Amino acid sequence: MLSKDSHLSDQELLLAADGGLPPVRAEEVASHLAACWTCRVRKGEIEEAIRDFVQAYRGDLDPLLPSPAGPRALLKAQLAEMTAEMASPTQSWRAWRSHVATLRYAGAALFVAFLGLGIYFSPAFPSRRGLHVVPMSFPEPSLTPGVAVAVNPEQVCRSTRPKNRIVPASLQRRVFEEYGIAGAEPRAYEVDYLITPALGGADDIRNLWPQSYSSAVWNARVKDALEDRLHDLVCDGRLDLATAQRDISSDWIAAYKKYFETDRPLQ
Amino acid sequence: MPTPLEEEIVALFDQMRERLLRYLLSTGVPVHDGEEIIQEVFLALFRHLQRGKSRRNLRAWVFQVAHNLSVKHYLAKQRDRQNLGGSGAALVDDSFVDQAPNPEDQLSRNQRHARLQSVLRALPEQDRRCLSLRAEGLTYREIGRVLDMSLGAVALSLARSLARFARAEER
Repeated sequence: MLSKDSHLSDQELLLAADGGLPPVRAEEVASHLAACWTCRVRKGEIEEAIRDFVQAYRGDLDPLLPSPAGPRALLKAQLAEMTAEMASPTQSWRAWRSHVATLRYAGAALFVAFLGLGIYFSPAFPSRRGLHVVPMSFPEPSLTPGVAVAVNPEQVCRSTRPKNRIVPASLQRRVFEEYGIAGAEPRAYEVDYLITPALGGADDIRNLWPQSYSSAVWNARVKDALEDRLHDLVCDGRLDLATAQRDISSDWIAAYKKYFETDRPLQ
Repeated sequence: MPTPLEEEIVALFDQMRERLLRYLLSTGVPVHDGEEIIQEVFLALFRHLQRGKSRRNLRAWVFQVAHNLSVKHYLAKQRDRQNLGGSGAALVDDSFVDQAPNPEDQLSRNQRHARLQSVLRALPEQDRRCLSLRAEGLTYREIGRVLDMSLGAVALSLARSLARFARAEER
């Protein structure tokens, strides 16, 4: 029982406001509040502080939240991958047979590549689904325009996220389908982020493309060097993040030449 | 074709991703890392449910795993700073709490907001985590489970923080 001369603690006032008191105690607190101006005023102050905090919390953080579409698609792909991995032996056998079939496709695709389709993929890259093509060094802009999340340079530079993450196999398959090479051998390509996550690139299929390992000159290692260079420039404050994202997504080879001041890869 | 469990996980992701990400950002985790942590949380939830484990209070479970991963992230950053020769003293990396508002920013905010920010900056990390979780709608019991605190300690932490806000308003 509360004495008329004593006052409620902030802790009890908060528990009362949040409905966290046991029923008997809640009744005692309610009757005390009805009689005590001081405690009522204090309760009002605490509720006002809660309102202020929630307003500041939401107001500051909500504008930073990126669209859920990319992360949602990535999660679905990863879940499908995990389900497939846990499939029954019968399904594994089917997967193995399908794998053998894709090896045949990949052999044919690489053979065509060696016959001389060129090391640089044409900008007039076919974009229709189902068309068998061999992407080399350059993504198709209509399929892979490059997508970035809303981040500022500070967030990019202090991120501990690995520069290049492994894209789940199911998402890789979707990229291959988009590019019309559904039957290709996954090991012949690196499904790469056009805008690297280290520069704010999104986990979004529109930011992924199959980069061929068979390219002798403008290959994945050269692009990795460009990504490191751009990251350093952005974090040293010598290059605007938006410019880095735009340059790497519009023509990464031209960006390499520009930022390394060379016409050929340095290595 | 997604399995019913996959669909359930994606539905939970739709319900909770925004709240989890906001909580992670409030603790100083950058957006990229926050998104990655959330992916890990829901993949862990998938494995958890696939093994037939408890479905009791999945909301608290999800926040608890996210919190644990964010602490790992925090410790990794601390190690990185020490490896780089930093003192390791300024461990709290705040994206929600302004680091040092410049005069222009200060002018653009109203005085109340600025006072609130200065109180927030001064709060111990655990108190701020309590506040953020409460703002995300977790009950005292759930906060206690996520942060491994007793019910009384959660109430005390929240009361202490809010009393500081209220005192700042009086000035």
